[in-house]
Amino acid sequence: MSAAGSLALAASGSLGALASGAVSAAAHPAASAVWLVGEGADWGFVLRNADYLAGGALLTVGLTAASILLGFLVGFPAGAVEVYGGGLPKRLVGGAGVVLRGTPIVVILLVMYFVIGVPQVNLGVASISPAVSAGILGLGLRSAAYQSQIFRATLASVDDGQLEAGRSVGLSRFEAIRYVVVPQALRRSIPGFQNEFTIVLKDTSIVFAIGLAELLTRGADLFTQRTTAVLEVILFISAIYFVLTFATNRALDYLGTRYAIPEGESV
Amino acid sequence: MSDADAFLRVTDVSKWYGDEQVLEDVSFEMDRGDVTVLIGPSGSGKSTMLRCVNRLAEAQEGSITLDGEEVLSPDTDVDELRREVGMVFQSFNLFAHLTATGNVALGPRRVLGLSEDGARDRAAAQLERVGLGDQLDSYPAELSGGQQQRVGIARALAMEPKLMLFDEPTSALDPELIGEVLEVMRGLVDEGMTMLVVTHEMSFARAVADEIVFLDDGRVVERGPPEQLFERPEKERTGRFLERIASHD
Repeated sequence: MSAAGSLALAASGSLGALASGAVSAAAHPAASAVWLVGEGADWGFVLRNADYLAGGALLTVGLTAASILLGFLVGFPAGAVEVYGGGLPKRLVGGAGVVLRGTPIVVILLVMYFVIGVPQVNLGVASISPAVSAGILGLGLRSAAYQSQIFRATLASVDDGQLEAGRSVGLSRFEAIRYVVVPQALRRSIPGFQNEFTIVLKDTSIVFAIGLAELLTRGADLFTQRTTAVLEVILFISAIYFVLTFATNRALDYLGTRYAIPEGESV
Repeated sequence: MSDADAFLRVTDVSKWYGDEQVLEDVSFEMDRGDVTVLIGPSGSGKSTMLRCVNRLAEAQEGSITLDGEEVLSPDTDVDELRREVGMVFQSFNLFAHLTATGNVALGPRRVLGLSEDGARDRAAAQLERVGLGDQLDSYPAELSGGQQQRVGIARALAMEPKLMLFDEPTSALDPELIGEVLEVMRGLVDEGMTMLVVTHEMSFARAVADEIVFLDDGRVVERGPPEQLFERPEKERTGRFLERIASHD
């Protein structure tokens, strides 16, 4: 089987709905790497559809940004409740996290879209379709469930003596957490957050389940139309994913370095 | 309160961790400007006793009055109490993400409500006071243990406390760094600061204490002025402890 064919089949595994296109793609004859730049290559097809793919990339970026933000706004307090809370709030938050982390993302998205039925959201300048808001809600809440565990771990990793020292100068518990523990925990959260960001970015492709055509789905649309350009399309969108994850991870690295707590030699 | 009443009065304080009693009817008192040193073997309850005074640990029985106010009452505002009682920790517990100035300024800024500049000025003055005027912008990890502990002292002093608690302030330090911390503490004694100190530094205790309280097994075995307690301990247990300590000095 050709390289293009096996790639297309791999793609069809994750995008089952498109299996019919993948089968015909498997018939592509070329197999060598030279094919990518040689006469048989069809980059023109990719370029002609660049706008279409860019629209998908925009949706991918928008979904990722909104979901990560929602995930942070819900996940950070949730992590804090799991560390500092007690009783019912802690049990509720913990339980919700277990359910969200234990449910496949496709199921979460289908529930958001078809069961809960998130309405259209009007923001004045733009309106967000029910599918997009369901996507953001589903991806965002699942991300919150994972982010809560990042923050739970880093909040708990800050030595108790820090909180105690904060309280000893008269800060309330909340203030001591806010001014002493949180700034240290956030710094330690960056590596885990980089993981979570990358996962959310790539998982935005699953919104195809509720009919949204983001980058990967649009790519699949294209190569099912033109089964001779499967590898070109896949490589192109992979490159976009790579640039997005690489740039964001570097930005977070920079943030980590910029706010790193200086370490001396004489400890 | 009557004028004759002690500034800090600890009366029959008892505390349990589960079934295990760690403090048993501990009583002592100190006047304003006094230096009281708690000594005793590890696990004797000295640190726990100290921490009960600013309620970082909760005593279950007894009474502690500070300036006539009951500390252990459920109505006591613990944040208010801690504003007035400075604490220095064995492991420094400096805020790792803040500079020396940031460490000292946090309380004045967030608790006393000073302006950003006001808090920084106060921090600088307190760091100057402990001999760290040249380390204002250093982070804890950039400082030696002795310097870190002096920042810890400055942090407590910046709240202008009426009582300072020292929980084994030199126990985590290399021997050559102990002196600079004790020197700062001696300076505070000279200024008339009221200090309750847990330490194993017997020569320091002897030199500055008005009273030594010897705790063992959560109970006060003996208390008295240093010359009496060190030279002529009344209880055999006190003598044995002091001998053991001396042989390690």
